[in-house]
Amino acid sequence: MTAHYRIGVMFSANGPYAVVARSMLNGALLAFAELAAERDDVRLEPVVVDPCGDHAAYRRLSLDLLTSGIRNVVGCYTSSSRKEVIPCFEKHDGLLWYPSHYEGFESCDNVIYTGASPNQHVLPLVEYLAAHVGHRAYCIGSNYIWAWENSRIFREAFGAVGGTVVAERYLPVGDTDLEALAEAIVDQRPDFVFNNLIGTSAYAFFRAFQQVCARRGIDRAGTIPVASCTLSEPELHEIGPAAGDGHLSSSVYFSTIQTPANLAFTAAYGRMFPDGPAACADAEASYIAVKLLASALARAGTDAAKPVRAAVAGQTLAAPQGEIRIDPDTFHAWLTPRIGRSTADHTFQILLEAPQALPPDPYLVQSSPRLAVPMRPPKLRVVQ
Amino acid sequence: MSARLVQNFRGGRAFIVTATPGLEGALASTLTKLGVESTYPRLMDGKAEIALATLSPERDMLFIDGDLEGAMEIELDPSTALPPVPVIGLVGVEAPSRLKALVGLGATSFLRKPVHGGAVYASLFMGINQFQLRSEQGQRFEALHQRHRARRAVIQATLLVMKRTGLDEDQAYAQLRHESMRMRQTVEFYCEDLIARHPRAAPSSLRPDDAKPRTGKPKAM
Repeated sequence: MTAHYRIGVMFSANGPYAVVARSMLNGALLAFAELAAERDDVRLEPVVVDPCGDHAAYRRLSLDLLTSGIRNVVGCYTSSSRKEVIPCFEKHDGLLWYPSHYEGFESCDNVIYTGASPNQHVLPLVEYLAAHVGHRAYCIGSNYIWAWENSRIFREAFGAVGGTVVAERYLPVGDTDLEALAEAIVDQRPDFVFNNLIGTSAYAFFRAFQQVCARRGIDRAGTIPVASCTLSEPELHEIGPAAGDGHLSSSVYFSTIQTPANLAFTAAYGRMFPDGPAACADAEASYIAVKLLASALARAGTDAAKPVRAAVAGQTLAAPQGEIRIDPDTFHAWLTPRIGRSTADHTFQILLEAPQALPPDPYLVQSSPRLAVPMRPPKLRVVQ
Repeated sequence: MSARLVQNFRGGRAFIVTATPGLEGALASTLTKLGVESTYPRLMDGKAEIALATLSPERDMLFIDGDLEGAMEIELDPSTALPPVPVIGLVGVEAPSRLKALVGLGATSFLRKPVHGGAVYASLFMGINQFQLRSEQGQRFEALHQRHRARRAVIQATLLVMKRTGLDEDQAYAQLRHESMRMRQTVEFYCEDLIARHPRAAPSSLRPDDAKPRTGKPKAM
């Protein structure tokens, strides 16, 4: 007998980070399509909603989905949207399948995290930058929890290996007037930029930075590379060919992974979504989330949060990035860190990859010092 | 205030004092995620069986259910009002008497029952860091108190130098300060030592109670 479940799918296919969110939506829809052909024990019906990047809409749509009888929702890209909807999932005992890398320091019983934890993205990047690029960083980011915390983790880890942060700047989500920031960075001449801008702000920055460097005769990629934990394939299309190459990205998935599983995934994705946006790490995490959800529903025999959560604990999946599994303690995923450099054809050349999947460490229990790095006030201040 | 806050609790041991182990909510499961091992001490005749003297404030912490009456008796440090290890209160009945009892046990943070997983890290962060900060403040207060007591010896030594050399008060103090720095000692310690070596020369009204020569060599703060 086939069990039928309605599944919420909540991504902002419109708004300031729509490009990545559409890729995530596509990853989820591909998984639903494959499951319809593969499985006859469960049938999943996606119910797609679009909060358009608006926090109030995330809250309202979560409530609508959960009060309509849906108990599992795949969705959210930004941490601020996830934090916005968590109380609603707790109140109505639903499960949010969160398919994006994030800054950690969270482990909600009503969330299954299929994206990368900080020890799987920012820490490998710190190691790579310190060993291969330099020790002076300029940190920029969108002004919300992701950039604040990811920069804090970066600063502590980078300081521990002898690095320094020459400056930190945060801008509102959606801000696209970034030429002055690009000029300020070039004036400082850091060894690299650590970028936590998201969506349209990030694209505008990459273009402005290219223009400023070109005007000043600076080899952008060779002199001041930009390193991110967010930069993905569909965003390279948005940035454009002139400004999109030579950037470093730390991610558990790149579309250029040469394994049969990934070749099959990218081919299926390309056939289903020929107009894009291209597949990326968060699209893969969404694909993984739906596949794991289907197996957990089949195993649990119900879509209620508690049994589904119990069913997904320890579950493995042959994902496009390699084998992944859900850690039964933290309900985060074991994933394989990789470092890539963007190319002019909107993909990434993989420079390094971990030999196998790393366990998630959302609270950096295994990978951070006992004591926080003290924040020292500056010794000098600008008086003129 | 120390800027070195504890942010990673790996290797910690939590002793959860409650009558209903496992029913306090998501405490033990969340502590596991934070790298902290949990144990539930047995309650014998309503008293928790914990050898407090064997616990270490660097590693151990107590979670005490405020709804239990008299499960723990903890002697607080008289200068800091702190227990031997950090205490976090588990609050069920939110009555002033229960909260007061937890404060009386030296709790530096609280968690509402049933414990919500999302509240544990914040409560641990607050409880342990408040404990550290208050311990450090207590040590600093004690050091300042000792220096304050020793100011009597500075006055005596200044008078002694004035009497012997004819220097005025400022010059005599400058000389004592110079000599204490040369000896790499605090001016208070140097003066106490000087007076102890010359008890008869000091004016009787200012003679220290204990004029024995001192050993040890505290560095300047």
